[in-house]
Formats: sequence, structure tokens, C-alpha cells
Amino acid sequence: MANVELSNINKTFGAIETIPDLTLSVPDGSFTVLVGPSGCGKSTLLRMVAGLETPSRGRISIGGRDVTREEPSKRGISMVFQSYALFPHMTVEQNIDFGLRLSKTPLEERQKRVDAAAEILHLKPLLKRKPAALSGGQRQRVAIGRSIVRNPDVFLFDEPLSNLDAALRNQMRVELADLHERLKSTMIYVTHDQVEAMTLADQIVVMNAGRIEQVGAPMELYNRPQTLFVAGFIGSPRMNLISGEAAAKHGAKTIGVRPEHIELGEHGPWKGRLRVAEHLGNETIAYIDSELGELIVRINGDHKMKPGEVLQFQFLQEHLHRFDESGRRIHREQTLVTGSATKLLHP
Amino acid sequence: MSNATSIRASKSNSILADLMSSKGQAVLLMLPPAFLLFTLFVALPLFDAAYYSLFKWNGYGTPTDFVWLGNFRQVLDHGIFWQSVRNTLIVLAVSLFIQLPLALGLALMVYEKTPANTLFRLVFFLPYILAEIASGLIWSFVFDGNAGVASALFKSLGMDPVFILADRHWAFLAITLVVVWKYFGFHMMIFVAALQSVPKELLEAARLEGAKRWEVVRFVQVPLIWAAIGVSAFFAVVGSLQLFDVVIPLTNGGPSNSTHTIVTYLYTFGLTRTRIGFGSAVGVLLFIAAVGVSIFYQRQTNKRSK
Repeated sequence: MANVELSNINKTFGAIETIPDLTLSVPDGSFTVLVGPSGCGKSTLLRMVAGLETPSRGRISIGGRDVTREEPSKRGISMVFQSYALFPHMTVEQNIDFGLRLSKTPLEERQKRVDAAAEILHLKPLLKRKPAALSGGQRQRVAIGRSIVRNPDVFLFDEPLSNLDAALRNQMRVELADLHERLKSTMIYVTHDQVEAMTLADQIVVMNAGRIEQVGAPMELYNRPQTLFVAGFIGSPRMNLISGEAAAKHGAKTIGVRPEHIELGEHGPWKGRLRVAEHLGNETIAYIDSELGELIVRINGDHKMKPGEVLQFQFLQEHLHRFDESGRRIHREQTLVTGSATKLLHP
Repeated sequence: MSNATSIRASKSNSILADLMSSKGQAVLLMLPPAFLLFTLFVALPLFDAAYYSLFKWNGYGTPTDFVWLGNFRQVLDHGIFWQSVRNTLIVLAVSLFIQLPLALGLALMVYEKTPANTLFRLVFFLPYILAEIASGLIWSFVFDGNAGVASALFKSLGMDPVFILADRHWAFLAITLVVVWKYFGFHMMIFVAALQSVPKELLEAARLEGAKRWEVVRFVQVPLIWAAIGVSAFFAVVGSLQLFDVVIPLTNGGPSNSTHTIVTYLYTFGLTRTRIGFGSAVGVLLFIAAVGVSIFYQRQTNKRSK
């Protein structure tokens, strides 16, 4: 196990500066998730930690050891790729054993470690199969098995679940969380899926255009986003961001309110027309065309709403987020929403 | 109606139904042109050659002097034929064990997509584009003992001029050198295409697992391009069996018939001496060898794909 320190990392590809200047600390034993939209530099950052890319400037240390110019195999890391990167001509067993075989680990030890990994990942019946004969989830487990056997200090995951279907992704998410609990190793995980980030991470690093927007625990990012970007990126459905007069009344350029912090009520100060209602069983997501723009509202239970229906609503004042012109959070007590007190509508 | 008759009737009905299906119609439409061309330009000449090989015939008039397997006996009793077989096998071995590894080594150096690599690939491929006869002529000037590059080299070393292509010991070696020079670019391009199709992540995964450069080649790249290596080897073998037009301008089979390949032997002792029956017998033997190689290759390919 080891911590990972990135100090003043810069990466340019020709004339394009992918990462201008980035400093990040990944604590020992943490599950840190790098999240951000496509092209924000998160995979490049991970590849620099892996040693597959060299930083143009800056320093990377793992467990206190400077590894900036070190070979990938000498960094004490292992990596799981988005495409799994299994060797198609080798069996599952040969794939898992590959690194141990190269490092000339004694045969008995190799067999012991491969068996242990296969046991943890339920791969025992598949050991003699080739990757082509495996499902997506099984391939992913083999890729993880290959990284486990080498007992690395740091596990790196590059969007490992993005090729799986939704059900399998949920299952693998739980398995990854279990694995982290069991191994207690440092894990750095790249994804563009904020649900994966929220469910897996101890620490989330939100990236945008090669810069870190915010680092923190999942609920800290959810409850106190420091920038408009984080506010819009973390949370599903996304936070409603409202500018104009309504925001100005709160002394902000933009205000943000999460879909579950909007209440429908016949005395609500705002009006809107229901465009679409998504009934998910345990909740309903309503898309409303309102005088404040398009809003997303999360309502518990089974509402009998029809498209075109006019709804009134209010914001829960204690959950309003306010942002200034530069998109930064305004840190002071929130003011009250103007408008009358409302009585909630019940389904 | 008896059982057998009814089964026959239902069978012919199902064949008719197959032919009337869209797939059947496609076969009926597409097969005849291909079948006609194959028959005219492959099957008929083959049968003709096999037929003529049984006659002592000079190519004029109708063959009448039936000699049964006499031509084959003559071929197999001819020392120069066995010399040409030996030479063909040498070219084959050089192609497989020197040319292909050289092509693979170079392909590994230039397969990545960079401007410099593109230039190198073009330079290495140029000999293949050149006509065989032209290549032979160019190299015959190079090897010329009076005025060629070889002559200048020997002179600079203070040695007497050596006429490589006129030397029984060196002439065929020179030919194999030209063969390697001429065709390695072709095999290199096959390997380059195959190497470029290997996912980059697999190479990165191997590096992360601690594989050194040669281990990545041995354990990942070569196994993954094995099909391309097979195709390349097949072309090399078939090309060796057919080697002709590089030899003619270089040595014309000499000195003292020591540099014949099977095809130049066929040409020299069959065609130029108007012994069409004899030449056909050599052609039939060559055809049998080529079919043998094809069957072996197909079996190996099938075995690997299983």
C-alpha cells in the first residue's frame, strides 16, 4: 500500500496543453475516483501515474519514492484497462499468470497466487478458457485478477465498467467495492460516470479541461459544490441552474437547486408546464418548462401527472446553492425565496 | 408409392426448393461466370499439360508419340533437374529463415505511424515495385566484375576482380541475395499491416506486467500476427517454387546450369528446346509440389483456427 503524490504536473502533446499544472494527493488505502467529461485529462493523468505517459513537467511519487521517470513495471502499480486488454491467445490462467511468469516467480508460488485470485473473483471454472469464450463481466474479472496477483501498491482503473451493460455494471461496482474493502489497497479509478464516482469513492477528484475543479468526499461534493461545473456534473438527475432575476434576488449570478429540493405545491411562487414525467417506480422525475427555464424535479412515489398540466412549485431555501460571476460558490447564509408559504401537494 | 421412392421425391423437392431460394438464385447467377473462367484458364491448361506430358512432342501438330511416363522418367533421371530442385529448396529456406525474420524485424522497427517510418516503409517497399527483369539487370550490373559496384569494392580492398555471377560457387548465393532484396519489402508490408492491427492496450498491458521489448514481441506481437506470418510464409514458399524472372537476366541458369530453379529448368530444357511434352512433365511435378504445399498450409491454418 502507498500514497500517490502528483506535484505540479504538466502534460503537453505537441502544441496542445492537456494538463496545465496539477497537484493532487491520493491518500494511502483510499479509493480515489477521477471524474470529468471526455477529454478533461483524467485518463492522461492515470496513464502518467502508470508510466505509460511521461509528464512534460512535474513530479510523481508513489509511497514517497520518485517514480516520474521509472518504468511502468517498476512502479508497484497495476492497471485495468477499459478494453480489458486481455491477451486473446492465452487462457484465463495464462493471462493472470503472465506477469508472474515474466518476473520468474517460482512455479509453486505462481500457482498459489493465481488460485487465490481465481477464488476471490470466482474464476476457477474459467481458468482454461480463452477470453473470446467469456462474457464482458468475466473478462473484466480476469483483468482484475491479472492485476491482483502481482500484489501492487496501487491499483489503477481506466473506465473499467464502461463496456458493460447497466445490470453488469452495477454488479461489478459492488464487486470492486468489496475488493477494495478486502485488499485495503490504494485505488485510483477513472470514469466519466458520476454515479460510479459517488458510489465507489472515498475521495472524488472532479476534473475539467485539465484542471482540478474540486477534491472531496462524495457527499461533500454533492452538498457543497464549490463551482458551477461541479454542481452541474455531480448528481443525477443534474442540479437545476437558474440565472437572471430569480438568482439576482438571492444576491447571486446563478443559483442551483437539486431536483429533490424542489417541492410541488398549489401555493408555490413559481409556475411551469409539465413536459415529460418519468415514472421510475420509487420516484418520478418531472421535466417542467417553467418561467425560470427547464427544470427537473424529483418527486417521491407515484404521481398521477399528465404532460401539459400546469404545476406550481417552490425551492427548499436551505438547499439553495449560490454562485458568483466566475462560477464560484458564494459562502454565506442563504436568503429566503420570495413568495408565499406553500402547502405541499400530495400524490 | 414405395418408401424409397417417396424419400427420393422429397429429397429432389428440397434441392429444388434450395435452388429457388434467394441464396440458391445467387449461386445460380454468380457461379457460372467464375466456373467458366476457372475452367478456361486454370483447369483446361492443367489437363492439357498433364495430357502433353505423356507424349514426346515438340509443340507442332498433334501429339502422337505416346511415351506414357517416359518424360517423367527422363526428368527424374536428369542431374540438372535435381540441381534445380536443390536450388529451389535453398531459395525456399532462405526465404523462410532469412527473408521473413528480416522482414519481421524491420516491420517491428517501422510499423508505428510516424512520418519517418512512412518514408522507411516506402524505401523498403521500392524493390518490390520494380519489375523482376529490371531488378535482375540492375543487379547484374552491380555484380559485374569489370565495372560493377562489386568490382569497385574488390578493387578498394586490393583484390583481383571477381565475376560473381560467373562463379559456380557464388552465383546462386548472389541470386538468393537479390531474391531477399526484392521481396523482403512485400513481406514487411504484410507484417506492418498486421502489427498495426494489434491493439495498443495489449502492448501497454504487457509493459505494465514487466515485459521487456523482446518479450512483448515474443509473447504478444508474434502470436497475435501469426495468421499474417502464415500467409507470408505461404507466399514465400509459392514464390520460391515459381522463381524465374530474377534468375534469367542474372545468370540465365549458368554457369554450367548450376543456378537453375525448377521453372528456369522447365523453360530452358522444355520450351527453348521445343520439348513441350518434357516441359509439361516438369510443370506437372511442380504443380503437384504446389498443391502439396497448399494442402499443408490449409491444414495448419485450420488446426490453428480450431
